[in-house]
Amino acid sequence: MIPTMSPVDMREERAEKLIVQNVDVFYGQFHAMKKASLGVAEHCVMALIGPSGCGKSTFLRALNRMHDLTPGARVEGEVLLDGENIYAPEVDPVSIRHRIGMVFQRPNPFPKTVFENVVYGPRIHGEKRREYLLEVAERSLRSAALWDEVKDRLDRPALQLSGGQQQRLCIARCLAVDPEVILMDEPASALDPIATSKIEDLIEDLKREYTVVIVTHSMQQAARISDHTTFFLSGELIESGTTSDIFTKPKDKRTEDYITGRYG
Amino acid sequence: MASLTPTVGGSRARRAAVPFSQSPASGTLAGVLTSIAAGICLLLVVLMLLFLLWYTWPAIRYNGLSILSDITWNIGNQYGTGSSIHNGVAAEPGAEFGGLVFLVGTLLSALLAMVFAVPLALGVALTIVYRLPERLRLPTNALIELMAGIPSVVYGLWGTIVLVPWVGNHVAPFVTHHFGFIPFLGGDAGSGNGLFAAAIVLAIMVMPIMVATVRDVLLAQPKSIYEASMALGSTSWQAVTHAVLPSVRTGIVGAILVAFGRALGETMAVLMVAGNAINILPQNIFSPINTIAAVVVSQLESAVSDASGVAQRSLAELALVLFVISLAVNTIARVAIRGQDRSH
Repeated sequence: MIPTMSPVDMREERAEKLIVQNVDVFYGQFHAMKKASLGVAEHCVMALIGPSGCGKSTFLRALNRMHDLTPGARVEGEVLLDGENIYAPEVDPVSIRHRIGMVFQRPNPFPKTVFENVVYGPRIHGEKRREYLLEVAERSLRSAALWDEVKDRLDRPALQLSGGQQQRLCIARCLAVDPEVILMDEPASALDPIATSKIEDLIEDLKREYTVVIVTHSMQQAARISDHTTFFLSGELIESGTTSDIFTKPKDKRTEDYITGRYG
Repeated sequence: MASLTPTVGGSRARRAAVPFSQSPASGTLAGVLTSIAAGICLLLVVLMLLFLLWYTWPAIRYNGLSILSDITWNIGNQYGTGSSIHNGVAAEPGAEFGGLVFLVGTLLSALLAMVFAVPLALGVALTIVYRLPERLRLPTNALIELMAGIPSVVYGLWGTIVLVPWVGNHVAPFVTHHFGFIPFLGGDAGSGNGLFAAAIVLAIMVMPIMVATVRDVLLAQPKSIYEASMALGSTSWQAVTHAVLPSVRTGIVGAILVAFGRALGETMAVLMVAGNAINILPQNIFSPINTIAAVVVSQLESAVSDASGVAQRSLAELALVLFVISLAVNTIARVAIRGQDRSH
C-alpha cells in the first residue's frame, strides 16, 4: 500500500484497485450471488473460475454495473473503485463504465468499419478531430496486437474479420476509451487455439497498464495468465488467493475437488 | 385495416421454413401440400393482375398516359349525342379520365403519414424492447394488436367528428397564419378535411404494423450490440442512436415501406376525412385531396351509369396503378427486411 515503492518489488502488496464488499445479486427472486467479497490488486490479472452457472459472470457484471441493464436484476453491497463505491446513489453508471471496460464472451463488433469500431467510444464522448481519432485507433489497435493485420483495411467492415481478429478489435475498442480496469467474460471461449493464445499473450501485456479481471472456464488458462484466482461455486465465492496457491494448496475442499477435476 | 398477421406471421413463417425445407419431410405429402398452398397464393396474385389488365385494356387504350398525367376526371355527357373516341375505344362525349389528382393525393397522404408515424413508432418499439419490464410487454403487445383490429370506419368516424373540426378550427388557421412563409404551409386554411387530416388518420392506422415490425427487427438483433455500446460508457440514448439503429437500418426501412404500402391502399377512413377533391391538385398541406382507393369507392356509382363502360374500366385502371405501386413497395420492403435477417 505504499505508493513510492517500485511495482516490481510489490507483487503481493500492491494497492487494491477494486474492493468488493458483501455483494449480493438477485435476478427477480433468484439469489444468484451470495455475499461475495474480494480485493483485486492493481496491475494484476484476476481470474474467476468455477463450473457453469456458478455465478462468475454474474459477479463480473456486478463490477461495472451491467446488471443495471437487465430488467429485474438487483445488486446489493459495495464495489469500491479506488475507494469510491460505484453503487453510491450519486454515481453515474455511465462514468463508471468509462473507467471499467468490458470484453464479452462472443466478439460483438458493431456492423461498422474497423476504424469506426475502434473510435466508437471517443466519438460518443464528443471527440471529432480526425487526426486524434486516427492516433487513438492506431495506438489501441497496436495495444490489442491487431494493427499489423488491419492497418490496410481500416475502412472495411469489421464483420469481415476472423473471430479472433474481431475479439481483439473488441479489446482495442475497449482500450480506446482508456479504462483503468478491463473485465473479460470468457473472451477466448468462442475462438480457436491459435486465436486463444494470441488473446492470452495480449492479456499478459495489458496488465502493465490496466487491471484485468477475467472469467474463464479453463483452469489451464487461469493458471497461464493470472496472478490471482478466485473460485466460485453455486453462487458463492469459495476461495481467493494467488494463482499458485489456489492450484497447489487450496484451503477449501471444494476448490481442491474442482481443480482436480471432480466437478463438471 | 387488415390484421397484423400476414406481415409479422409471414416473416416468422419464412424463418421456420428453412429447416423444414431441408428436412426429409419436404418430399412427403406435407411438403407437397405446402408447396401447393404457396403456389396458389402466387397464382392468385398473378391472376388478379391478369384480370385487371384484361378488364382495363379498353381504358388503357382510351386514356393512354393521361390516366397518370391529367388532372381532369369527367365521365362525359351521358345525355349528349355521339361519342368521344381515342385509339378506337368509344366513351361518352367529352369523357376524360385523368388520375393525377388521385395519384398525387395517394402518395402525399401516405408520405406525410410516414413523417408523423415513423418517429413515434421508433420510439414506441425501442421502449418496448429496451425499457419495458417483462410483465408490461405482453399487455403492450396485445394493445398494439388490438389497435390493428379496429375497423377502418371507426378511425374514419373519429377523424370526422374529432380530428377534422380540430384541424379546421385550430391547427390549420394557426399554422397558415404563423408559418405561412414556409412552402406548402401557407394559403387557404380550409375546412379541416384534407391532406393533413388524412395523414394523421393514416399515421395512427399504420402505427401498429410499424411498431410490430420494428420491434421484431430490434428483437432479432443481438442484444450484445446495445450492451457493447453501454460497456463503452455510452448513455442509453447514444447506444440506440449510434449503435442499435444504424445496425438495423435496412430492417427499419423495410418496416417503414410495409407501413407505407398499407397507407397507400387505405380506403374508408381516408375517404371520410380527405375532402374528396376532384380536378384540382392540393395547394398546401390542408388542401382537400383524394386518393386512388377513395376515389374508386366514391366514383363507382356514377361510373356504373356510364353506358360505354369506359368510366368503370378507368376506375379499375386506377386500381391497377395502385396495385402495381403497392406490389413494388411491398417487394422492396421484403427484400430489405430479409437482407437485415441475413446480415446477422
